[in-house]
Amino acid sequence: MTVETELNPLQRGYYTREEISSVFPSRERLEKGRVAVIECIEEIPCNPCSAVCPVKAIQKETLCTPSVVLTDKCSGCTKCVGVCPGLAIFNQMIKDGKGYVTMPYEIMPAPKVGDKATMYDRAGEEVGVGTIVQPTYQTKGDSYPRWIVTVEMDDPDQSYDVRAIKIRRD
Amino acid sequence: MVDWRIYDHPILEYDRGKEITIYLDGKPVKAFENETVAAALYAAGLREFSKSIKYRRPRGFFCAIGRCSSCMMEVDGVPNVRTCTMPVHDGMRIKSQNTPAQLLSPILNLMKLPPQKYMRMFTRPGIIYKPAMMVMRQLTGIGKTSQEIPEDHEIKAKSMEMETELLVIGGGPAGLSGAIEAAERGVKVIIVDDKPMLGGQLVKQTHTFFSDVKYAAGKRGFNLGNQMIERVNQLDNIKVLTSTTAVGYYPNENTMLLVGQDETSIRIKAEKYLIATGAYEKNLVFDNNDLPGVYGAGGVQTLLNVYGIKPGNKGLMIGTGNVALMVAYHLIQAGVEVAGVVAPSITRIKGYHVHAAKIKRHGVPIITRHTILKALGTDRVTGAVIVELDEHYEPIEGTEKKIDCDFICVGVGLTPAYDLVRLFNPEMKYVSALGGFVPIRDKQFRFVENAYIAGDCSSIEEATTAMLEGGLAGLYATKALGKESSDLDEKIAEYSHALQEDRDSPFSTGLVKTLKEVTVENIMEVIA
Repeated sequence: MTVETELNPLQRGYYTREEISSVFPSRERLEKGRVAVIECIEEIPCNPCSAVCPVKAIQKETLCTPSVVLTDKCSGCTKCVGVCPGLAIFNQMIKDGKGYVTMPYEIMPAPKVGDKATMYDRAGEEVGVGTIVQPTYQTKGDSYPRWIVTVEMDDPDQSYDVRAIKIRRD
Repeated sequence: MVDWRIYDHPILEYDRGKEITIYLDGKPVKAFENETVAAALYAAGLREFSKSIKYRRPRGFFCAIGRCSSCMMEVDGVPNVRTCTMPVHDGMRIKSQNTPAQLLSPILNLMKLPPQKYMRMFTRPGIIYKPAMMVMRQLTGIGKTSQEIPEDHEIKAKSMEMETELLVIGGGPAGLSGAIEAAERGVKVIIVDDKPMLGGQLVKQTHTFFSDVKYAAGKRGFNLGNQMIERVNQLDNIKVLTSTTAVGYYPNENTMLLVGQDETSIRIKAEKYLIATGAYEKNLVFDNNDLPGVYGAGGVQTLLNVYGIKPGNKGLMIGTGNVALMVAYHLIQAGVEVAGVVAPSITRIKGYHVHAAKIKRHGVPIITRHTILKALGTDRVTGAVIVELDEHYEPIEGTEKKIDCDFICVGVGLTPAYDLVRLFNPEMKYVSALGGFVPIRDKQFRFVENAYIAGDCSSIEEATTAMLEGGLAGLYATKALGKESSDLDEKIAEYSHALQEDRDSPFSTGLVKTLKEVTVENIMEVIA
């Protein structure tokens, strides 16, 4: 029987935190303010992220080369989170000892500020409970209507792990 | 009353229209006026739409877009209607076609005859074969036309003759963009589609597209479809014929024969043709793969995103490409549990990693190196047995595992719909990397002198490349028609470049190589 850990990331469908750490901004950078993290490692013909960036912080050589974030330019405006067709862009921040992850959210129920949410890592494993601090919704007529939610967590280090949430309504 | 409809979706607002009532074998069923018969019946819990003719096996639907013929029923007295494309109306009467066979089933089952046995029973001796078959056909489910003429019957059938410069067959992404590019440059265009509406499969694509922001990137598929339809409506020189099927081509007269709305027979004489008929969904070979509950990934997408109906409570996805991964995500969005994605691939999941990642982080197991052995259940799916594969894609004995689910979604790829292409008598070739039989074409997308091809029916790719191909084919047709336009060559160069850029990823390497094998400099040298 094949064990999941024996497989490579492209076989099992996710990267572990260690495997994808090359795209991470440093902890010092996160403490300075919000910054984009792009977990898109394959050569896919795609460029909405670099096109939408107002400060030209997302670099792309050709249509297919993976995007690179210039962390000192990035203003953490979260626009790229909303346009990525692969839902592979997140924003991270550490502020007052708390971790914040901004992510695209396209499932029900609709998020509200103050909602509690179970947080999951890239493998879909539960890592704790966070609080929704900032849901954004682009209107339905828009090309890419999508909630962009920011979830707050007590352990700032977890901002490198949390990649999905399930809103708790109990 | 059971209702499988989705009323709360993160992206879509379903425009169902007014509530009406239809009748299934005399019993009232709730329906909405924008639904098809199959959608309304499925929402009310019906899973078995017909029975197979020979073995009386239950049939659900598979494709939900009028291709697979599994959902045929008697509608308002007309037998063999594909209920998945038939719009409902208030008071519609639907009948199962196989009632006598249902009565007979228990008797045959009591005799404990395996299907093969009684098939053989009626073939020997040869002299009774024909009469026996006549009886069998009456008993099983191919329907019966009513012999009586209803009082309110009116003969609707008419015939029509038309002429145009460019006839586009297929109103999906390729056909629409071809029609728009040509019409914007003064070409007289007719678009034909066998569905009641234009847009092809774009209507069910709720995800945002990759590619260049100059074209489709960042937009959701259904929005793109709506934009193109709007543009088509703005152009006075495009005529649209929906619910119209092209059935024959007469090369000597350069004429296409079509069957239109209200059974009108239409003859269209066109100078150029653009064939953009798309593709059919493939099924996989496994035990019980015909059980109601085994659906094509596109069929599930149609149910979810066009009609807003859940296919079940818990589904198992089979497939390793982008479509399988994306439809699994669509299921999560609709609030349906995904038991897993069974990916029959060894070296890697074939689709984009980002598609796999977005379902994995929502807790959906991706079961790589496995395939499905059989579907469980007698009249509908209750589970599946999967098995691990070795390096040579052979099942490893003893690794079978049972998975509980109430539907199985097969997303193992598409095959080009070449039926209409073949009528032009082109040079056909079977190329598995392109999805099946495709015609040899030249660099201007011509496969015979007067006909062009674009989209999935020329090679299985995705909507963005289909739009670029369609646009190019439309531009080349415009050029061949001798229309003067200042930006024609410029536009051709731009789209060709974009197409090349889109295919410049490692995911397209094999495709690009194969496309070279079926593309020649000038088609006239091949077919002359």
